[in-house]
Amino acid sequence: MANGKFRRDKHPVPHFLRGWILPALLLLLWWLAVKFQWSTSPLLVPLGKVWDTSVAQTRSGELRIALEASLRRDLIGFAIGVGGGLAFGIALGLSRLFERMIGPTFHTFKQISLFAWIPLLSVWFGLGDTAKVAFLSLAAFFPMVLNTFEGIRSVPGELIEAARVLKFNRRQWIFKLVLPAASPSILTGVHLAMVYAWLATLGAEYLLVSGKGIGNTMIDGRELFLMDLVLFGVIVVGLVGFSLTWLAARVERRLLAWRGHSVTLRS
Amino acid sequence: MAAQQIALGLSAPVSATSLPARRAWLRQWSPRWLALPFPLSLLLLWYVAARCGWVAPQILPSPQTVLLTFIDLVVSGEMLDNLKISLLRVLLGFGVGLTGGLLLGVSMGLSPVFKDYVYPLFKAFSQVPVLGWLPLLMMLVGIDEVLKIILISQAALVPIAINTCKGIENVPTRYVEVARVLKFSRWQLLWRVIFPAALPPIWNGVRYGFTHAWLALVVVELLASSEGLGYMIVYGRQLFQLDVVMAAVAVVGAVGYCLDRILARIEVMLLGSRRRGF
Amino acid sequence: MTVDRRSVLKHLAVGGVGVGTAMLGLTAQGVSQPTVIRIGVAQPGIGNPPVFSGSSAAVANAKGWVEEEFRPDGIKVEWYFFKGAGPAVNEALSNQQLDFAFQGDLPAIVAKAAGLKTKLVLATGVRSNIYLAVPPDSPIQSVKDLRGKRVAIFKGTNAQLPINRVLEANGLQERDLRSINLDQGTTLAALTTKDIDAAFGNINLLRLRDKKAARIVFSSKGGSPIFTTQSHVLVTEEFAQKYPEVTRRIVKTFVKTAKWASDEGNSEEVLRLWAKAGTPYEHWREDYDGEPLRVRINPNFDPFLIARYKDSVEQAYRLKLSRAKFDVDQWIDQSYLKSALKELNLENYWPVYQVNGKILGA
Repeated sequence: MANGKFRRDKHPVPHFLRGWILPALLLLLWWLAVKFQWSTSPLLVPLGKVWDTSVAQTRSGELRIALEASLRRDLIGFAIGVGGGLAFGIALGLSRLFERMIGPTFHTFKQISLFAWIPLLSVWFGLGDTAKVAFLSLAAFFPMVLNTFEGIRSVPGELIEAARVLKFNRRQWIFKLVLPAASPSILTGVHLAMVYAWLATLGAEYLLVSGKGIGNTMIDGRELFLMDLVLFGVIVVGLVGFSLTWLAARVERRLLAWRGHSVTLRS
Repeated sequence: MAAQQIALGLSAPVSATSLPARRAWLRQWSPRWLALPFPLSLLLLWYVAARCGWVAPQILPSPQTVLLTFIDLVVSGEMLDNLKISLLRVLLGFGVGLTGGLLLGVSMGLSPVFKDYVYPLFKAFSQVPVLGWLPLLMMLVGIDEVLKIILISQAALVPIAINTCKGIENVPTRYVEVARVLKFSRWQLLWRVIFPAALPPIWNGVRYGFTHAWLALVVVELLASSEGLGYMIVYGRQLFQLDVVMAAVAVVGAVGYCLDRILARIEVMLLGSRRRGF
Repeated sequence: MTVDRRSVLKHLAVGGVGVGTAMLGLTAQGVSQPTVIRIGVAQPGIGNPPVFSGSSAAVANAKGWVEEEFRPDGIKVEWYFFKGAGPAVNEALSNQQLDFAFQGDLPAIVAKAAGLKTKLVLATGVRSNIYLAVPPDSPIQSVKDLRGKRVAIFKGTNAQLPINRVLEANGLQERDLRSINLDQGTTLAALTTKDIDAAFGNINLLRLRDKKAARIVFSSKGGSPIFTTQSHVLVTEEFAQKYPEVTRRIVKTFVKTAKWASDEGNSEEVLRLWAKAGTPYEHWREDYDGEPLRVRINPNFDPFLIARYKDSVEQAYRLKLSRAKFDVDQWIDQSYLKSALKELNLENYWPVYQVNGKILGA
């Protein structure tokens, strides 16, 4: 153990079971509350109802439609944001002049809390998915630029010396030195961009209300007081969030395998 | 090849962005003024676009209009009132999230048993982004202040708890061994060894948590509020007054920046060294 | 070999460009019809296919009469619905994503004052009632008791001005309340969970009353008509200039619909059609009780309505909701309406209201 407090594990509950106790307790509490009607609020739906709704939503294809819509926007915005962010970040990192001229303006815009852009975007892009995708690209853009920039700026000195000795030309400089050295940061940027893009997908669906999506499903559930639908949405959102980050981590590990050691992600 | 020579610029401090010698004078000059031409030209473009009507005036109000509206709002006190309310909300919510996050993170970091019990559930909850909880919370607690505080604190709590826990876990064992050799008491071990060593990642989490808290504040005010900066943005949007929206957005950016700077300052004070931002 | 191929390609290219421009020229001359007509509605569309309510435009949509009118020309008609009501329609209009819009007076006024180029062509859904609802156990008995309370108001929609008039009539201003901007669905939810102390809204609030989740303490029904909301259909100047004929035909279709709906024999069906959008038939009956349908579906911009719009422009400016004043008479383009009425021989079909609210000749 890192904190060095080594005690013989006298705890009665075996290791692998511990994580399950709290969730099980919560579910039990929920079940009891429903059974004994601790609350008459229509918000207290039985577990079974949530399960039924989940199944119904999946079977009827509603889930697929909503998820497809959300994910499609998410991935398009993510791709644009990451691509643009990578280019911009490289420019910022490699060119002092560019950084001096454009950097401060960029850092100022970065300060504007993400969702404050939405009303502007909705007026500039109108109804439809364009505004949402623009917003998602923005959400992915900023973390990507920052991490790319940081990665490029922190290329170790020895490597630069080595490149100089080997008389690298411009192309080799970028592709054989800077990008590989900066890749951990760049991939952290991708990871963060993914997190923000998913967050922004939901927010965009709340604030730019039109069309389908998992966020819209939850809003509808809320307006109609369907707790089961809302809970179903929460579970789906969590699962998707988890899958996306897991995917990002796997890709990162694979791409960085050549480095020979694992990279701790700043989450 | 000219490119080669540029790449092999001499007299540059070790950095990936070595400039050719002839550009070294750029650094000598106060680099401040270089930052100006770009934003100024953007401003000029904006002014010209509005003046020549390249874009409809309701989509892009002219810079003068935005400035005048901004001054108007400040003078009438509206801006300040809404700002105060937003600040109070975010400070309260962030305070709650900070406390909760630190407590949770410390407990999980120090007690592996506790972590075994709590971490899986916590991890599962943290997979749902803050906004995913919004409709659920709206149903449970309504749209009043409570909703906002809960969301803001939750936005801050997750990254703070995770970073605190990881920070404590990553304290190198040899530090702890040294403490044991020096026969530190439990309390001393905590205060003099573990926390200082874990502080950089913890503070990183705090700054990150604050960014998220500010984000959550803006969203929740956009969705259901009767006062605050987000409310001003909504009001402007509903009434097609983009200049109000832009003025409020500018203030949101400025305040977010100032608060983040304050945190950075505190970080410097605590750590005594320069840190790269997130 | 290369030279030959290159020269062949060159010839082909020139030829292609030539044909292309010729075709463009032909089409530019011949184009007097759009491929699609986009109509925006400042209400959420309910059901599949989506429908809305409260106006002759709604009836036309439900019956598909606009589509029918333009099918022989191969012009598609697309209806767009906006949960965000008038303000959201404005966003779409300013992005040139709509040609026509069914909208309330205030959002259209605000947009026009901000520079959006539109023309009003038809009145519909006029004199709609507003209601004030509170939780059943609330101490609020009337509008006077609203001081300092949390009240939901859907800002930027045509309800905002009548609400302000009601408040002023009771010695209050919007500033004296803690007004929250909520859309229709959120308002109903928030009132049920008692998150707000009161809510201004339209006929949809009656649903809560029936569920015993709310009590209605004020209704504009039976009171002065200045406390009612007005709506209209407008067209973008661009569309009207490019396709005046199509605009005329759409107005005619709506007028025909209005005539059909104003016929007392059809009133039952009209209300049932509107009920499909969510508000029960009984509530429509209740809201329209005592007034013939034709009053509210009147497509005419009679002196009363024009005076109302002029007053709204003034009030919006006074309340700092809009930035400029403009000439309402210039804004309303009666030409399409007049020609449709003449063609259908309906010039005297609807009552003409004076400025003071009384019918001409009554």
